[in-house]
Formats: sequence, structure tokens, C-alpha cells
Amino acid sequence: MSSAKPVPAAGAAKPVTTIQALNMALEDAMQDDKNVLMLGEDVADREGGGVAGVTRGLSSKFGDKRVRSTPISEQAIVGAAIGAAIAGMKPVAEIMLMNFTTVCMDMIVNHAAKLRFMSGGQTGVPLTIMTMSGAGIANGGQHSDMLESWFAHVPGLKVVVPSGPAEAYGLLRSCIDDEDPCIFVEPIMVLFASGPAPQRGSRIPLGKANIVRQGTDVTVITYGKQLQEVMAAADALKDISVEVIDLRTIAPYDKETVLASVGKTKRAVIVHEAVKDFGVGAEIATQINESLFGKLAAPVHRVAGKFSPVPFARALETAFVPSKAEVEAAIRSACGKGGK
Amino acid sequence: MANTQAQNAAKATPSRETLLDIFRRMALIKQNDERFRQVIRTGRLIMPYYSTRGQEVIPACMSVNLRNDDYVCTIYRGIHDSLAKGVPVKYVWAELAGKATGTCKGKGGPMHITHPASGVMVTTGIVGSSMPIANGLAWAAQLRGESRVAVANFGDGAANIGSFHEALNLAGAWKLPVVFVCQNNRYGEHTKYEVTTPVDQIAKRAASYGMPGIHVDGNEPLAMYAAAKEAIDRARSGGGPTLIEAMTFRFHGHIMGDMDEYMPAGEKQGWIDKDPFPKYRAWLISQGHATEEALAATEAKIEKEIDEALEFALSSPEPEAIELRRDVFAQELAV
Amino acid sequence: MAFEVLLPKLDFAMAEGTVSEWFAQDGATVKAGAPLYALETGKAVQEVEAPASGTLKILVPVGEAYPVGTVLATIE
Repeated sequence: MSSAKPVPAAGAAKPVTTIQALNMALEDAMQDDKNVLMLGEDVADREGGGVAGVTRGLSSKFGDKRVRSTPISEQAIVGAAIGAAIAGMKPVAEIMLMNFTTVCMDMIVNHAAKLRFMSGGQTGVPLTIMTMSGAGIANGGQHSDMLESWFAHVPGLKVVVPSGPAEAYGLLRSCIDDEDPCIFVEPIMVLFASGPAPQRGSRIPLGKANIVRQGTDVTVITYGKQLQEVMAAADALKDISVEVIDLRTIAPYDKETVLASVGKTKRAVIVHEAVKDFGVGAEIATQINESLFGKLAAPVHRVAGKFSPVPFARALETAFVPSKAEVEAAIRSACGKGGK
Repeated sequence: MANTQAQNAAKATPSRETLLDIFRRMALIKQNDERFRQVIRTGRLIMPYYSTRGQEVIPACMSVNLRNDDYVCTIYRGIHDSLAKGVPVKYVWAELAGKATGTCKGKGGPMHITHPASGVMVTTGIVGSSMPIANGLAWAAQLRGESRVAVANFGDGAANIGSFHEALNLAGAWKLPVVFVCQNNRYGEHTKYEVTTPVDQIAKRAASYGMPGIHVDGNEPLAMYAAAKEAIDRARSGGGPTLIEAMTFRFHGHIMGDMDEYMPAGEKQGWIDKDPFPKYRAWLISQGHATEEALAATEAKIEKEIDEALEFALSSPEPEAIELRRDVFAQELAV
Repeated sequence: MAFEVLLPKLDFAMAEGTVSEWFAQDGATVKAGAPLYALETGKAVQEVEAPASGTLKILVPVGEAYPVGTVLATIE
């Protein structure tokens, strides 16, 4: 069972940002296993240690052979990472922004995801792709998309989205340990968020959700940046007991925890930033319906990004992402307390 | 430069033993290809087949210069590369038949033959995708200080896709121990080289990646051997990557069933008339490297191996449905 | 043992084919490698050779489309 609090919490030192937590995770992983490699655009210290500073200090400590800045060549980056992974290395490839995965989808979808299956298990691809994205800092339509459902739709890929520093550390360590390719999505607003420092060496298992808040009236399922909005909404709704689940891993997601919770509350709201249509919420809502139809007290509600490219203007960008007010309204509606 | 290459070529004259090894690998490819096509026409193998007949010299000459632990990545028209590298014939046949005993348990098929024990790490069905992955294999070898090399095979069509540029650029920048082998068979699918490619030799593109480019007659064993040896030796000794453009031709078009309607009349026949296999066979005998009897014995041995492989493939069990849950991830999927 | 003559896949986008002509009559003796029937696919008509030698027993008429893998005849 998942614990009620973010893991790990006890004994935490002073707060750190998610960027710092990821940096610690990479440092510890490289320290623990000499097969762990890092490659990507500007990842070495000479080039600034990554555009968000996630890899800062690593090349100075582990050398620029293990932490290697690459040309702006996403196919070459992921291809080299796949080859090294097949050869027994544990590469971590940084694709600077999630929209840039579109120019290396062949390598990710046709190769990283499928080589184990197509080879009958002879070759595995223990590769982690770290990539950041998300609305909120005026980056516009080609630098902000949350595309996790694209990858979750591909058999052979694991998809992880952390909601804070401790999650980021523990999940990234698990991705690097994993024998299969993992897409590690860093929501930009989460990168800059602070939280309790992770316990060095800790792991958060992939495929396990976290019940962040216990409740009895409704289950809100979310992940990544939207956990903040959902927690704020849950706090604000004094008359409704809200259970909040942070999925942590999108693929494979923790169906057991979700179904057990919704089976108890009989109401579900799914919240994510990626556009609603054909998104992660659609899949989870369907599985809830397939398993709990007849037991539900209300239709499954979804609150997600509007069906639009991520806009630039602040007013539009704000309207695009799910707001605390929208989450509150959806929770009220699910609980039959609509109106206002 | 030309002088150095000539000297290298002179130094690279293969021993008699190697000459016969090249012949054996060419025969292995040719005879398997002939039988694949024959059996496909009986309806016993149902698969897309991209014949490699006519391109035997290139992988035969590459592979005699490679070690078992050297890496090869190839493409959907790549069964010759796999056979030459040593993937066991019976497991190849079983894979083509979609059987549980195949190289990939029947889960890959003809476009995805994989056999790490022979160094065949990836066969891709995507044009251009062998190159970026070969870089990674070479990078791992470089990091570990191993003397392994990686070979990326691809066609002339793949030299026009973006991954070619990205991969060769990275290999040049990182001085990776990789050999890029462009098997230029003059057509990308059904489109002639000149229609799609504004430079007369793909090898010339090597200059822009800071690596040597070798343009060679890929149907001429001695020349191909010298090119292969030069490039593989360079990679193994830390000298970085090479782009080889080996000129050849596919005798059976793009895909089995190809009617050649896109080719000028007589073009294919002109190449078949210069078939490198009988030519090399006759040369070995005329030069006293082998007797007719010895070569016939090699061919008979291969034929017997194919008979056994076919029998093995057809009599092997089908994969079970549970295989859909296996190898998606390292851990079997729950029901 | 009878050797089955199966409808082959001879093109990438081929799911079915039609025998447009048998070059031997039902009951005739055929020789492996000799042209046995003409196969019409979406794209072309190709001659296909007998996979074995023996007595031909035709199982499908000309002019009708069958899926790849169909037993067209046996040779005993």
C-alpha cells in the first residue's frame, strides 16, 4: 500500500528544488554505477551543465567522457543512447524539451520501445530519457507540450512524471535502475519548486501511485504540476472529503490503487495539464468504468488542458491550463454539489 | 592519398584461406537467398522478402575482417549481413517461418533478425536507423577501452534521410570506432539514385563529417576486401569512423514480386551478366586458389545445411500467445 | 504424402490472389520447377512453378480470389 505522505519525508534536510534533487540523483547514480552515462545538448559543465542546470557539476566530477555534450541532433542522441544501452551501459539522454522528442520519435518508438520484443528478449534497452516541458513560463506552442500520453500508448515504454523534488529523486533513480526505456518528464513548474530534500539512495518504485491525502467522498487522480492545484482545491473544499492520488508513473500506472480508492469513494476526478482529448484521463476513466460501472455515484470527471496548442499570451496560457477553480468545480459536480 | 590507398590495397591482399572464406560466405548468402525465394513461392513462408542476391561480396568481405564480438547493425535488406556475420542458418530460417525456435522467437521476423551472440545487434525496418544505434555500440566500446568496432549497413536511399547526417556528424565529432557501409544498389525502393541524389558519389559526403570516404566496387572482392580492411583497421586502432560506399545492384528488385517496371530495359540484365558470384568462383579456380571439386563441396555442404534448416523451421512449434506478454518489458506483463 | 501447393505472398501489399490459369490438368503428372499456374495479384500476373513432382490434384477453380496460404492443389 502507498503511504499517506510523500516519500521520503522523515529526516529530510533543508528544502531543495527539483533541479537540485535531479542533480543529486544523477550524481548518486553515476557514483554507484560506472555504466551510467549522461548525454545531451549542453549537458557538460563547459556548456553550462544543462539548460536548467540539472547536470551541473557532473562532467567535472565524472569526466566529459561519461557526461558528454552532443550536437543538436536528437536522433543521434537517442540512437547513441540505445546502442550504448544494448551494449550494457545505462545511458541517461537529455532531450532538452519534450517537443524535441518529435524529431527522434523513430528512435524512441520504433527502436528503444521495441528492440527487446522484436529480438525475442535478446537485447534490452535500459535507457532513461529526461525531458522537460509544460506551460507556465511563456514558452509558446513548440516548447510547452505535455506529450506523456503519446509515449504511454507505446508498448515497451515506461513514463514517469514527478510532482516534487523527493519524487523526482526517487523516481529518477528507479528509472536509471530499470531494465527498460523510461521517459522521465520534468514539468517545468515542478523543476523550480522546492520541497523536502530526498533521502540519498532512496528509490520510489515505478508503477506505484502515492495517496497524498486520504478522503472518503471523492478520489482525485493527478500527477506532475497539477498536484499543487489539486491539493489547494482539496484544502479549500471544507465540506468534501477528498482523496488525492499522485500517479507518479503514468505507464504502467497503478491501476490497483486507483480502483481501490474509487471503489471506496465511488467518485473520481482526473486532472492533468496535457490536453483532455485522447489523453491519460481518457484511459483511466475508461478503466474505472470497465471495473466499477454500476458502483459509481457519478460519471468520471476530467479537468485538463484545453484543446489548443499551448498559447503564448499570459492570459491565454492561464486559461489553457487546469485551474484550481476548475478542479474545485469538477469535484463539486462529481459530488452532486454543483452550482457554486 | 591515392598512393597510400594503393599501398594499403597491396598490403591488404587476402590470404588463400581468406579468399576461400569470402567465397564460402558469398555462397552461403546466395544459396540461402535462392532457397528463400523458392520456398516463398511455394507458399510455405509468408513474409515480405527483400532479396540480397547480387550484393553478396560486400558483407562477405566486411565479415572476414570482423571479429565475432564486433557489432553489426543492418536493415530490412540485411539478411546477407546477418548470415555473413555468422547468425546460425537454422535460427534464421525458423525466424522467417515465424517459429518459436527463431532467432527472435518469431517475434521479429525477416526485417528484425537479431543475434547478439554473433554480434548482430539490430536489424531495422526503418530506412536510416541503423546508423545512430551503431554509434552507441561504438561509443560503449570506446568508453570501455575495448577494441571492438561497430558496422552500420544501409542503402543509398538512407544517405538522404536526416539520421545519416546526424549519425555521421556525431561519429566524426566523437571519433567513434564505427564503419558506415552504404551498399549503393542504385535504387531507393523504386526510385533511381540520380533522381534523388544530387552528388555523384555518396562517399564524397564523408568530407563534411571529417572522415575518410571510400568509393569502391562492391561487387569486386579484392577491392571490397581492401576497403573493408582499411576502414575496420582504422576504427579498431582508434582512428575513427569511415564511410564506405560500395557499388552493387539488387538482382530481384526492391521486394519479392517486384516487376521491374521502373527500371530501364536491360539495366538489371546488364548487372546479372556481371554476377560477381560465378565470376569470383571461376577466378579462384583459374588462379589455382581452389579446385572445382573443393568449391562444389563447399556449396554442397551449405545446401545440406539449408535442407536441415528448412526442415527445422517448418517442423518447429509456433510461438504461444503468452509471448505477447513477454519481452514487452524485462518483466512479463500481468494478465 | 501429398505436397500442398499454397497460395504464396508475392508482393508487399498482397492479401489474396487468383489462379488465372492452370498449366496442367487435374490428374496430370507435374515436375518440380516447371510452371504450374498463373497467379494474378493486384499488380501483375506471375507464373509460379510446381513445388514438387507427382500427380496434380487441383482444389480451386480459376478466376476466384483466395487468401494467401490457401491450399490451391496437392501433388502426390
